Amino acid sequence: MQAKELKDGALERALNLFLGSEGNLVLGFEKGDDGVRHRIFKGGLDRFSLFNPFFDVNGALYLRRLFSKNARIMLMLRPCEIRAYTELAKLSQIEREGITAVSVDCFGAVSSRDGIADLPTDAEGLRTYFAEPERMRAPCRACRERRGVVGDGGIRIDRNGVLRAFAYTEKGETFLSLLEGEAEESLPEMLLSEGPRPEPFQTDMEAFAKDFSPCVMCKNCRDQCPVCYCVDCLFNGDEYLPKGDALLNKILRTGSAAMPQGKEMFHLIRMFHVSQTCVGCGSCEEACPHQIPLTKYFKGVSERLQAKFSYMSGRDFEETIPYLTFLEDELKDAED
Amino acid sequence: MDEKGAHSLEIIGFACSYCTFKASEMAGSLRMKYPDEVKLIQVPCSSRVDPAFVVKSIFEGADAVFVAGCHPGDCHFIKGNYFTRRKIAALKEMFDTFSMKDKLRLFWVSAAEARRFVEKVTNFCDEIKEAKNAGKRA
Repeated sequence: MQAKELKDGALERALNLFLGSEGNLVLGFEKGDDGVRHRIFKGGLDRFSLFNPFFDVNGALYLRRLFSKNARIMLMLRPCEIRAYTELAKLSQIEREGITAVSVDCFGAVSSRDGIADLPTDAEGLRTYFAEPERMRAPCRACRERRGVVGDGGIRIDRNGVLRAFAYTEKGETFLSLLEGEAEESLPEMLLSEGPRPEPFQTDMEAFAKDFSPCVMCKNCRDQCPVCYCVDCLFNGDEYLPKGDALLNKILRTGSAAMPQGKEMFHLIRMFHVSQTCVGCGSCEEACPHQIPLTKYFKGVSERLQAKFSYMSGRDFEETIPYLTFLEDELKDAED
Repeated sequence: MDEKGAHSLEIIGFACSYCTFKASEMAGSLRMKYPDEVKLIQVPCSSRVDPAFVVKSIFEGADAVFVAGCHPGDCHFIKGNYFTRRKIAALKEMFDTFSMKDKLRLFWVSAAEARRFVEKVTNFCDEIKEAKNAGKRA
């Protein structure tokens, strides 16, 4: 694996060099007056920030249905965002050809609605701030992969606080070649390591119904989920969530029903549909107007279901999503 | 649901039209009886069953659901039931997470196995009945 040490301002110079060519874009973070947000840079970098201590939206959402083959885009995003991008690329929702995905080590984030305005945006400052996990939002606390080891390349921090850029694929090597300095093969010890695997999630329908009782069925969680990508969602029609006359007919046919109807069904079906692709970024929770602990359930279930097929969403471009493939000789105990 | 009297139990079965549904037809022509509570839904292949159908059945009032198809390797569409196996195994894991694993079953029944079909379905129905009665008594 090739790596380069990032000296002061070397990354900015390299990205500006990249942006100097006509039509090249960088999707990264911009440090504004009231926080850090996504920005697609064109022409040159302006107030670029490598780290983002606030989480609002998963950046892969902005890349969905980007099919142009001659786009030249460099992504400088968090590992969870690059993982979601990887899953979408596997599902043919993004054309990978012109995109170089670089994942950056992440120390965790606070929710953008916590109302915290001033947070450091440098590696050392973030490390000290997030040394207390209670300061992080819940999905980040449970995150297992904060290392920039996914995508085409990565930017990682070693134990001495030195930033290093890594190349994992050919495109990553092109990115590396933009940077100054000599590539090295040595691998110093890194600051972040893989998080521990949690206990398998276990719950019951009562607890689930209680947690989801404030749900108003706005479906923001679905709309903001980076990997919930179906254009023609099951829940857009009348079959699963009847409305108007269809609802009236159903009530007359069956009996009185609590409103809004079908929220547990909606969440359970969505939970299964994203089970192998969920990256646990928590943008559903971020989008929920009632702050339902969605990640607890969605990530808990997806960890269990992915473990069944030794799969981890977004880890590798070459791994096939388990529902799209099979082995002839497996799951002998599936039948009852 | 509760005031329906004798037929208070409902089990939805998704049956592959090439194997299990044929087996159920054969059971009928052989005058074998299987529980009235079982409502079969014919699907062109067991892999047509989106787990959403199963979850919807449960929330629309079914007490339990089973998915039944050809034995692995015998699929009319060559490999459909291998996908079923993965999907339903994962769905069972999800049901297990929510402590309702006993509400879902996966059966392999070929077109010639009418007796096996009746046995499987009857056993499943008895189990669900027992669990429901135990819940009522508790």
